[in-house]
Amino acid sequence: MNYSSRRFSPTPPDKGSFPLDHDGECKTFMKTYMQCLEKSNYEQSDCRKEAKEYLQCRMDRQLMAKEDFKNLGFKDETKNQT
Amino acid sequence: MSYQRRACSQRSNANSIQPGSKGKNRTTMIYVIALAIAVIGLSYAAVPLYRVFCQASGFGGTTSRVIDPEKIAEMEAVPERPLTIRFNADTGATMRWNFRPKQKEIQLIPGETALAFYAAKNPTDEPIIGISTYNVIPFEAGLYFNKVQCFCFEEQRLNPHEEVDMPVFFYIDPEIMNDPALARIDTITLSYTFFESKDFDQSHLPTS
Repeated sequence: MNYSSRRFSPTPPDKGSFPLDHDGECKTFMKTYMQCLEKSNYEQSDCRKEAKEYLQCRMDRQLMAKEDFKNLGFKDETKNQT
Repeated sequence: MSYQRRACSQRSNANSIQPGSKGKNRTTMIYVIALAIAVIGLSYAAVPLYRVFCQASGFGGTTSRVIDPEKIAEMEAVPERPLTIRFNADTGATMRWNFRPKQKEIQLIPGETALAFYAAKNPTDEPIIGISTYNVIPFEAGLYFNKVQCFCFEEQRLNPHEEVDMPVFFYIDPEIMNDPALARIDTITLSYTFFESKDFDQSHLPTS
């Protein structure tokens, strides 16, 4: 029995659930991102561009609500997607 | 004769006692009933009040539900605190999907959003609906683990022999720097578990 008073409570995601990419429309972007991660020893800050491109792909195909990248933590380029 | 007198005196005594004590009894009863109503009302009100208190103060590990859209845009990355995020995948006992993380771990810093992937495949000949929940270890780090978007808590359906990539987009709150309990933590593990929808225990879902 865990006597710790602090119990983990899962919380819902801020922007809800990603719809599944059933048709693999953004698979190539995912692959590019994963390759980048492998090359940079899984240092995610080296692969911001690829991550952004993946999310952009999702937005373009209605697999993600369009959002200003500034609000998604991508500060370098503030492309307005609305 | 004496009997009558006694009865009279008894009755007058009884009369002299009753008005005062009847009034007092009634007042007391009203107070008690009012108190009972107040206590019952308070115990019903305590549920939402406590919830508000918890969300405001973060007591007991509850994370803040105030979703500030500016927060992500304004948060500052903390390069002096590199963290390793490990990814774990589990399935419920009766869940027939193959579910695995696409990366074992990612290096990041608090305040920077990160993208990670899981892969799920339905190897059977029938569609299966899954639903997932997640866990963060150490528990205390869960307070700072903010998911912007993921695939959890909603039913996801995979057709026979279908395989999908499931992204998780998250960040570690820079506030983690101010938590002394986590000062020596450099690894946080994110663990997702997929269940078949019919077997899913609703108590895993977040209380909203």
